[in-house]
Amino acid sequence: MPRMKTSVEAAIELGGLVKTYPGGASPAVAGVDLVVGRGSFFGLLGPNGAGKTTLVSMMCGLLAPDAGRVRIAGLDLAASPDEVKGRIGVVPQDLAVYPSLTPAENLEYFGSMMGLGGSRLGGRVDECLRIARLGPYAQKRAETLSGGLKRRLSLVIGLIHEPEILILDEPTVGIDPQSRLFIFDSLKAMNAAGMTIVYTSHYMEEVECLCRDIAIIDQGRIIAHGGLAEILAASGAGTVEIRAQCAPSEALLRRLGEIDGIRQVSCEGSIIRAASAQPTAAMCEMIRLMEEAGAGILSVSHGVSNLEALFISLTGRGLRE
Amino acid sequence: MASNLNKLIASVKKETRHLLRDREAFLLLFVMPLIFVLIISMAMRDTFREQGGVVLPVVIIDNDRDVVGPAVIEAFSSIKAFRVETAVEGNGTTEEDIKADVTAGRHKFAVIIPRGATAGANSAVQRQLRFVRGVDAAQVKVRLIADPQLRSDMRSLAAVSTGRVLQAIENRVLWERFAALAGMKITPEREKEIREILASNRPFAEVVAEDAAARAEQGDLPKPTSVQQSVPAWSLFAVFFLVIPLSVTFIKERQAGCLQRLRSMPVPVWVIMLGKAVPFFIVNQLQLILMLLAGMYIVPLLGGDRLEIGDAPVAIAMVSVAVSFAAVSYGLAVAAYCKTTEQATTFGGASIIIFGALGGIMVPKFIMPPVMQRLAVVSPMSWGLDGYLDIFVRHGSVRDILQEVAGLLVFAAAAGLIAVLRLRRTTR
Ligand SMILES: Nc1ncnc2c1ncn2[C@@H]1O[C@H](COP(=O)(O)OP(=O)(O)O)[C@@H](O)[C@H]1O
Ligand SMILES: [Mg+2]
Repeated sequence: MPRMKTSVEAAIELGGLVKTYPGGASPAVAGVDLVVGRGSFFGLLGPNGAGKTTLVSMMCGLLAPDAGRVRIAGLDLAASPDEVKGRIGVVPQDLAVYPSLTPAENLEYFGSMMGLGGSRLGGRVDECLRIARLGPYAQKRAETLSGGLKRRLSLVIGLIHEPEILILDEPTVGIDPQSRLFIFDSLKAMNAAGMTIVYTSHYMEEVECLCRDIAIIDQGRIIAHGGLAEILAASGAGTVEIRAQCAPSEALLRRLGEIDGIRQVSCEGSIIRAASAQPTAAMCEMIRLMEEAGAGILSVSHGVSNLEALFISLTGRGLRE
Repeated sequence: MASNLNKLIASVKKETRHLLRDREAFLLLFVMPLIFVLIISMAMRDTFREQGGVVLPVVIIDNDRDVVGPAVIEAFSSIKAFRVETAVEGNGTTEEDIKADVTAGRHKFAVIIPRGATAGANSAVQRQLRFVRGVDAAQVKVRLIADPQLRSDMRSLAAVSTGRVLQAIENRVLWERFAALAGMKITPEREKEIREILASNRPFAEVVAEDAAARAEQGDLPKPTSVQQSVPAWSLFAVFFLVIPLSVTFIKERQAGCLQRLRSMPVPVWVIMLGKAVPFFIVNQLQLILMLLAGMYIVPLLGGDRLEIGDAPVAIAMVSVAVSFAAVSYGLAVAAYCKTTEQATTFGGASIIIFGALGGIMVPKFIMPPVMQRLAVVSPMSWGLDGYLDIFVRHGSVRDILQEVAGLLVFAAAAGLIAVLRLRRTTR
């Protein structure tokens, strides 16, 4: 097996992972192969329902795959689940804290469940409260904390046992900007200190600014994978975004889609987005056609190569559709 | 193993903290069942306990279909304390039917007039008139089958009344015949002799109330009062409702994602489940103890009878522990299968009511159709109630409740297994 060589370097290796939920029409994860290098800050980007949570759940032993295998730090998850679970920290999509317990009690409980005890547990609880700057709230019930503070608590619970690998599933949903920045800074610092981080999100800005290694998932498949610059360059994706006065007609959208070099056109209310390898040329042609059709144009932007554009060009849909 | 034990201790500690943190909810776990059992025991009292002014429903089975039957029916109908509900023709009604009917309390007692009662009575009267000394064996035996729950004063009232009714019939027939024998001069000595002869020729045997269902014979058993039945029955019913808070906290924990987080940690499912089960088991035990104490000390203050708990504390403890095992395991199974707290509340509540109905909480099991009686084996409340009644009413000991305890443990094991398997398979 060629992968054996990399396994020392790889934090996570997924091979042929498939999962279909009972009653699900199509697989939620449809054959994923992925290698996450040790020490990397890995971003898994995809719209809602793409299969991120399902994939991550299989990575951390929450969900048994229908097929395929998971290796964490060179260990087979199916063969030694408890050892693997001891090495990863998980921050689930849901808050996953006990509302009636205080942050300190939450940390203490989950720490015990990770097998910590005695003075080491006490030390880790204090350390995690410090990292999350939850000191002043340590003795208040978690249910009385703000959404941002609860998220921070949820994050540090995942750190209680000092894992080598931290897996976060959309950790910034429903959070205030300060807490978001705070979480970003903490994650960057931990990654700099050597921790492998897997970061799941449907916000491309987050993934763009945090992650050096990115995979894009859609309908259970990885549709792009590599460094940020690398996948953007490979796709040659550029976007055009035109804000019209009112929603364009079907006929106009169809004509826009027929423009040479335009791969995809999508429309969200009165905002029209198109993906093209030559966004400048495409933009001129689009403006011409729209004026011809009498659709008033409010603003135009183009040429910014980003993950959103890449996603549109790959799937024909916006990330948040 | 040692580390799993530490994890279990941490889980129990967490769950206990959680339970105690909502003081009001915790108190309600005890106050609500208490109020419930007290109210039900009081409300049910009069259906079991006959008091002044209460009318006893009576069924009269006339296998004679001649003079005595209608006379008895007429006589009973004229007594205010009785209500002759049905006068059943003898055909097709077996003694078992009658006993089941009476045990169920549909009728407080049944009067059975045997086949040939009129003829037997007539020939006895003939012997009286001819001054022939009679043989007791030839007496007509009218039977009185009484509800075992009927208090002894009511039983003797029933027996005496029936005796009087028969006496009245005897007298009427006798004096009718006397009138027919005209012109007979009766001197005091003659009258004394006649009375002796009459006494030796009583057409009807003395009426003794028989029990419709077995009551244990030995010693001084507690009086079968409504409290003996309703306190254990409704206590069981009430403590099973622990299924709802138990499954709701479990489901909330799952919905919050805590369970998934735990499953991403090196923690076996049984630790998670036992961590929940232990505190709720203790609560359930405390609830049961409180209910039984209420039956013993609070119900009498409210004017009810005292709950007599027999003399086998170890047996009571065994049944109670097995009941709590069953309730807690069932709660875990409900939590494992219901997706939302609404589902758990509705399904949990409804299934407890069904278990209660099948288990003879609302209606005694023996009056149910045989099919339903067989279905009762699936109800843990059926086993629990049989266990308690064995101890409280029949003064059973540990040996008498082993079967019931086994039934409860089988139920608990099955529910627990279902829960573990389900939780292992699903985490969402
Ligand atoms: N427990 C479940 N049962 C059935 N279908 C599910 C379940 N969880 C997720 N799905 C479906 O699987 C697909 C992927 O879901 P998910 O992994 O949660 O996506 P994401 O995390 O990217 O939003 C979706 O179509 C979703 O509806
Ligand atoms: Mg998700």
